[in-house]
Amino acid sequence: METVNYNYAIVRSFITWSIIWGVVTVLVGVLISFQLVLPELNFAPYLTYGRLRPIHTNAGIFGWGIGSFFALFYYMVQRLCRTSLWSDGLAKFQLWFFNATIITAAVTLLLGYTTSKEYHELEWPVDIMVVILWVAFAINIIMTIVKRREPQMYVSLWFMLASLVGVAILYLVNAAEVPVSLFKSYSAYAGTNDANVQWWFGHNAVAMVLTAPPLAVFYYFLPKATGAPIYSHRLSIVAFWSLIFMYLWTGAHHLLWTPVPDWVQTLAMAFSVMLIAPSWGSVFNGYLTMNGQWHQMRENYLVKFLILGITFYGLQTLQGPLQAVRSFSSFIHYTEWVPGHVHMGAMGWVSLVLFAAIYYLVPKIYGRELYSIPLANLHFWLVLVGQLIYSISLWVAGLQQAGMWHAMNNDGSLTYTFMEAFVEMYPYWWMRGVGGLIYLVGILVFIVNLIKTAQGGKPAPEAIQNA
Amino acid sequence: MSSHAWEKKPVLLLILATVTILVGTIFTMVLPFAWVNTEHDRIETVSPYSPLEQAGRDLYIREGCNNCHTQTVRPLVAEVLRYGDYSKSGEFIYDRPHLWGSRRTGPDLARLGGKYPDEWHYQHMVAPTSMIPKSNMPAYGFLNDNLIDPDAVKKAMDVLGFPYSSNDIAQLEGKTEMDAMVAYLQKLGTGIPWRKAAEVEIIGELVNPFPKEPTAIAAGELLYAENCAACHGEELEGQIGPELDQDVYSDDELFELIYVGVTDAGMPSFASLGSTKVWQIVNFINYRETP
Amino acid sequence: MDWASVLYLGFTFGLLVIFILIVWRTYQAKNKRRLEEPKHRMLDDD
Repeated sequence: METVNYNYAIVRSFITWSIIWGVVTVLVGVLISFQLVLPELNFAPYLTYGRLRPIHTNAGIFGWGIGSFFALFYYMVQRLCRTSLWSDGLAKFQLWFFNATIITAAVTLLLGYTTSKEYHELEWPVDIMVVILWVAFAINIIMTIVKRREPQMYVSLWFMLASLVGVAILYLVNAAEVPVSLFKSYSAYAGTNDANVQWWFGHNAVAMVLTAPPLAVFYYFLPKATGAPIYSHRLSIVAFWSLIFMYLWTGAHHLLWTPVPDWVQTLAMAFSVMLIAPSWGSVFNGYLTMNGQWHQMRENYLVKFLILGITFYGLQTLQGPLQAVRSFSSFIHYTEWVPGHVHMGAMGWVSLVLFAAIYYLVPKIYGRELYSIPLANLHFWLVLVGQLIYSISLWVAGLQQAGMWHAMNNDGSLTYTFMEAFVEMYPYWWMRGVGGLIYLVGILVFIVNLIKTAQGGKPAPEAIQNA
Repeated sequence: MSSHAWEKKPVLLLILATVTILVGTIFTMVLPFAWVNTEHDRIETVSPYSPLEQAGRDLYIREGCNNCHTQTVRPLVAEVLRYGDYSKSGEFIYDRPHLWGSRRTGPDLARLGGKYPDEWHYQHMVAPTSMIPKSNMPAYGFLNDNLIDPDAVKKAMDVLGFPYSSNDIAQLEGKTEMDAMVAYLQKLGTGIPWRKAAEVEIIGELVNPFPKEPTAIAAGELLYAENCAACHGEELEGQIGPELDQDVYSDDELFELIYVGVTDAGMPSFASLGSTKVWQIVNFINYRETP
Repeated sequence: MDWASVLYLGFTFGLLVIFILIVWRTYQAKNKRRLEEPKHRMLDDD
C-alpha cells in the first residue's frame, strides 16, 4: 500500500490547546462553585459569578470540546479516508485563529460584553470569528472526504458531516442580532420568539457539538482500542438518521410551562421521549461490540474510559427525556438537579471519551509510548469519583429544593420561604466544589502523564512507520 | 435511487442530513413565529422600556444576572403564590433578548417590580446580606461609581425603536448605573396590573388564635428576623420601613397590614407565609418582652 | 375531522413510511455485506 503523508502535527497542536482550555474551564468551574458558598470570592466587577460562568461554559464547549473535536476530526478524517488533509495551510490558520477566538471570547466576557444567550454569549464581532473558524474547518473536512481514497464511508464520517452542517445552521440563526456598537447588539427576535429560537439553538448545540461529534469519536476509537469491529454498522446508520431527525424538535423542553405555545412544548416533550431509541441504539452498539471482549475492561485502560463514557451517555439520555416530561419538569426545572444532569454529560460522557481518544493517539502524535498506565488509571478514578460526587450531590440537592419550593400547608400557604430552601443548599454546594476539585486533580494527573510522555517515554514502533 | 447511493456520496449525504435537520427546525422554530407576538398576544398595558430602564436592562445583561435569576413565572400553584401572577407572552414583546434564564440560584424576578421600595434595592445591591442575611449574591456597590452615558442609551433606544423624548435623554445626565439598575428592577412584571388583582381580601372577623402565648412569640421572633428585620430593624427600631412600637396597631390591624401588605407604600404582602405564621409575627411585635 | 388533523396525521404517517423505508433498505439481506463492510475496512487502515 502506498504510504500517505498524514498530518499529525496539526492533531498534536489542537490537542495541546484544547487541554489548556480544558484546564481553564475546570479551574473557573471550581472557582465559581466555591463562589456559591463563599460570596466574598466574588471580585467585582470582573470576577463575579455572573461574568465568570459564561467563561466556564464557553471555555468548556468551544475550547475543550470543539478544540478536541478539531484535533480528532482531523485525525479520523485522514485515517478513514486514507488520504492527507485537503489543506495543511488552512488547518494551521484555523489553529491560530481558534486560539485568537477563544482569547477574544474570554476577554470580552470578562469585560461584560455578552448577549446573555446561554452557550451563545459571545457578541457579534466574536460571532463572526466563530463563523470564519467553522467555515475553514468544514471546508477542510468536506474536501478531504471528497478527495478520499477509501471508497467506504464509515459512520463516524456521517456524524462529522451532520455536525458540520448542524452547527452552522444553529449558530447563524441564533446569532441574528442588530449591532449598536462594537461590542453591543440586540437580538433580532423578541421575547417568546427569542426564547424559542435560543433553546432550539441551546438544545441542538448539545446535539451537534456534544452528541454527534463524541459519537463519531466513540464509533471510531472503541473498535480501534479493542481491535473488535463495531457490533453493527447498519444499526449505527438507523440510529444516525433517527438521531439527527428527532433532536431538532426538542428545544422547547427547556421552556415547558412558559408562554411558548403549548403545541410546541408538547412536540418537544414527545420527541424527547422518542430520542431514547436512537440514543440507546448507539449505547447498545457499544456494549454489543464488547461481546466476548469484556475482559478488556480489566486489561485495557482505554476501554474503561470508553465504556464508562457510553454508559454515562446512556444514563444522560434517560434522565434527559425524564426531565422533558411536563410533570417532572414542573417539579425539577430551575433547581440544582439540572447542573447535576449537564455535568454528567460534560464530565462523564464527553470528557471520558475525549480522554480515551487522546490516550490512544499518544504513540502516534508524540511518537512515544504512554509514560505511565497506572497514572492513567489514577486519572480515570479521580475524574469518575469527582464527577459522581458532583452530580449525585446536586441531584439530591435538586430533589430537596424542588420539594421545599412546592411544599404547601393545609391552609393553602407555602410551607417554606425562598431563603429557607436556599440555606439548605449550602452543604450540597460544598460537595459540588469538592467534586470539582477532585476532577481538577484528575486532569492534572492526565497532563503530567502527557508531559512525561512527550519528554521521555519509550519510542513507539507505530510512530516510526508513520513519522 | 441506485443501491449505491448516499452511503458513498458525501455531498449527497450532507444535503440529506441538512434536509433532515431542517424538518424539525421549520416546525418547532420557524412556524411558531406565526403564533407568537401577534395581535392575539397583545396586552394594552404593556409598554416599552424607558431610556433609564433600558440602560438598567443592559446592565442586568452585562453583569450576567440571568445566570442566577429567571424571569418567567410558571402557571403552577406554588409558583404563583411565591412570585405572583404567571407570565404571559405579551409581556415580553419588548424584550430583546429575552431574559427568562434557566436556573434559580436566586429567586425569580419576573414580578419583582413594586415588591420593595427603591431604597431596599439600593441597599441590597450594595450589600445583599444586609437585607437577606444568608444570601450568596455578589455585592454590586461599584454600580454607584459609574455614570451612564446618555448618548449610548439614545443610540440603543433608536436601534430598538422605543419612544423617548429629548428630555428623557437629558435627564439621564448624572444618573448612576445603580439608578438605572433599580429603575429596571422596578419595571419588571408591572406591565399588567396583577398586584391589584392579586390583592388579598380579608373576609369576616379576625381573632388572634394564640394571644400572648410564649411559644407563638418565640416563633414570631424567628420569623421577624428572617422576613421583617431587613426593613424594620433588628430591634424594630425602623429603617426603610417604620419602627414598630407596641400598642400602635391592634392585633387585627397588624395582621391585615402584614397579610395584605401596603403595596403603594412598599410593604409587601406576606400572605404566602400563611395565617399561622403571620399571627405569630403579630404576637411577637405586640407582646414581646421589652427591656 | 378538520383539515389540520388530516394534515397532521398524514405528515406523521409520511414520517413513519420514511422510517420504515430506511430500516427496510438498511436491513435488506442483499445490502448486508455492503453496509457492514466499512466497519472492517476502518480497522485495517493501520
